[in-house]
Amino acid sequence: MSRNLAWFFSAVVMLAVSAPLQALNYEVGGCKTGSSYVNFTTISAAVTGVPAGATIQICPGVYPEQVTITQPLTLKGIASGNANRAVITFNPNGNLAPNVTSVLGLGSAFYAQVLVQNVNPAGSVNFVGITVDGSGINPGGSTNLAGIFYASGTSGTINEVTARNQTAGYFGGFGIWVENGSSTNDTLTIENNSLHNQVGGIWAQVQPPSTLTTTVNGNFLSNIGGNEILIAANSGISGGISGNVVTSSPYGSGPAIFTQGALVVSGNTVADVSEGIGPFFATSVKSNKLSNVGTGIQFQCCEAVPLASNTIMNTVCAIDFYGGASSSGPISGNVINDAQYGFAEWSGPTITGNSLYNVDTIQTTSSPCP
Amino acid sequence: MKRTRLISKHWMLFLSAVAMIAAASPAQAANYEVGSCIASLPKFTTIQLAVNSVPPGSTILVCPATYYEQVTISRPLTLRGADVNNQDRPVIAAPPNGLAINVTSITGSNVAAQVLVQNVAPPGNVILTGITVDGSSAEVQGCSFSAELAGIFYASGTAGTINEMTTRNQQLPSCGYGIWIENGAGSNQSITVENNSVHDVSWRGIFAFSNQTPSTLATTIKGNFVNGLVYNQTNDIDAQGITGAITGNVVTGGLVGISSGANPGTPLTISGNDVADISIGVGIAITDVTTVSSNKISNVYTAFAFGGSGVSPGPTVTGNTAKNTTYVIGYNCTPNVTVKANTFNDSEFGFDHVPAANSGLGVNAIYNIDTVQTSTCP
Repeated sequence: MSRNLAWFFSAVVMLAVSAPLQALNYEVGGCKTGSSYVNFTTISAAVTGVPAGATIQICPGVYPEQVTITQPLTLKGIASGNANRAVITFNPNGNLAPNVTSVLGLGSAFYAQVLVQNVNPAGSVNFVGITVDGSGINPGGSTNLAGIFYASGTSGTINEVTARNQTAGYFGGFGIWVENGSSTNDTLTIENNSLHNQVGGIWAQVQPPSTLTTTVNGNFLSNIGGNEILIAANSGISGGISGNVVTSSPYGSGPAIFTQGALVVSGNTVADVSEGIGPFFATSVKSNKLSNVGTGIQFQCCEAVPLASNTIMNTVCAIDFYGGASSSGPISGNVINDAQYGFAEWSGPTITGNSLYNVDTIQTTSSPCP
Repeated sequence: MKRTRLISKHWMLFLSAVAMIAAASPAQAANYEVGSCIASLPKFTTIQLAVNSVPPGSTILVCPATYYEQVTISRPLTLRGADVNNQDRPVIAAPPNGLAINVTSITGSNVAAQVLVQNVAPPGNVILTGITVDGSSAEVQGCSFSAELAGIFYASGTAGTINEMTTRNQQLPSCGYGIWIENGAGSNQSITVENNSVHDVSWRGIFAFSNQTPSTLATTIKGNFVNGLVYNQTNDIDAQGITGAITGNVVTGGLVGISSGANPGTPLTISGNDVADISIGVGIAITDVTTVSSNKISNVYTAFAFGGSGVSPGPTVTGNTAKNTTYVIGYNCTPNVTVKANTFNDSEFGFDHVPAANSGLGVNAIYNIDTVQTSTCP
């Protein structure tokens, strides 16, 4: 009994010695104090100063800095008192030099406000509840702007983040940019975020034969000039785009949701945009709601994308086969109400199996879509 | 022989029954058409002539074309748009000589209704499906707050369904309504408004109203797509004094997405709606509504605003998501509400004018809010 008790005390002593190291919390901003907290004054100092896998709590405040993350960790905004927003903004004392070059897509230099790159050891980099604001940033030259940039070979989750005002840049500003041209299979989950006032909202691209698993779920995007959600690659993409609310880009260029990847596009609400969904090589497009759109769903090539159970209302063209595009995917069970044209630029056999109401011209070979 | 006679007797009974059904069918459930696009049906040249002439319970198919008329329906029937020759849009438009005021609402307003359902006899449902009601170029003499324009108007004492209709361009200054349904004193009525497209309306997209306590109007407003005009102060869906559900609608633009007031204790649920793009207004305005749940609100000035009596128990707001707002909830000092288990992200202010007592502000998931609470109540 005494021997066991001695072992017990030894264990307690070991735990007591090791506990302060294991229970340390990391915070930025000074709203959390005490012996259990390690404090940093900047986010950049924190992301290099904590051990891999740590969670860094960011106090409410404005952080004018450019952040590069090279180890797995979680960056989490927290509340303090009556405030609950940690904002990463432009550092007027910093330079506007690009800090990353895209390996694909636009192929150009980026000024990334938050850059995830060369993560070592391998692991996830996660963001929760912070704001990345691009106001005042104009990198100039041929440099683009991104709020959060996940470079090749990185993975993680972006959850309940706000990205806003990334408007400047050579091709424009992007809220969240994710890419992979590496040999690793990257996985990114982008969910429940608020994005607005950008040229591109959530853009994910992959350079075959690289692979990227992307889940874009439950995000709210508005006031974005280009594609609000774009997932692009001829192959190597998997995942889904579901439950997003995408609105208010009446003068945008390109479909609000555009995907070349083998993704299911489902349960999204798209409204007040010039073009709704471009399902280039999507696995399927189903149960989406589109309204007050110039064109609801636009095929652009030769897709075999099933369209099912989508509802399209208040549109010029409900479904457009741009430039005479073809589609061998079944188009059935969709509801179209209040359209000038049901199926535009379509010269194939009559499309049946859908419910149409208040459609001026059900099918046309002409190209009347905005 | 005996067996043969029995069979013959049954066969005769069967034939008699068939004959009776055949004789009754044309009067009870016959189809008629307006226009001339379906060769086999009896034809009318105008919708008004058809609805005046067919037997109660009939279905009238309306051929694709524009019908410049003001229609009053006073018997149970179904009016349905027909799909013919690559066209699928019959349009009811204002006649060249303008619209006459044809009904007085229980609100006291005089209304020029493009399609009026009123004094239905025998009692029964009036069902409208697949037709566009267009208020373009409509002129109503004396249009003001006391003389208003409505695309579709179900007057007090009527019932039915408005399904897959389009109402548009009811936008004379300050007085355009897409769909207006109401019920006052008298028997309870039930009206369903579902899957319609309503847009370019200046004052109310869908307006449902009862002035009785308890409410005499049970309404389901479901699956509609309503787009309002911001500078015309549109309330996209305005439900006052009704019972039922407002669910699964997509509501954008205008000044207020869903404006709702119920008699205290009258069940009214607002759930599963998407409300967006209301830059200077309110997503869901709540007065004594029972439950507001699982709605998605984004890109609006104020996501939720309370008003009303403040009686206990007040409304429960739960499971909603609001993002990209200036204010999350305008309490307006209203007590006895319950706000819990919602998710709010990206707002300048969280909760404004929260009452000092009985605020009912529970635990919510909050991210990226500059100031969580602002402006106190006395």
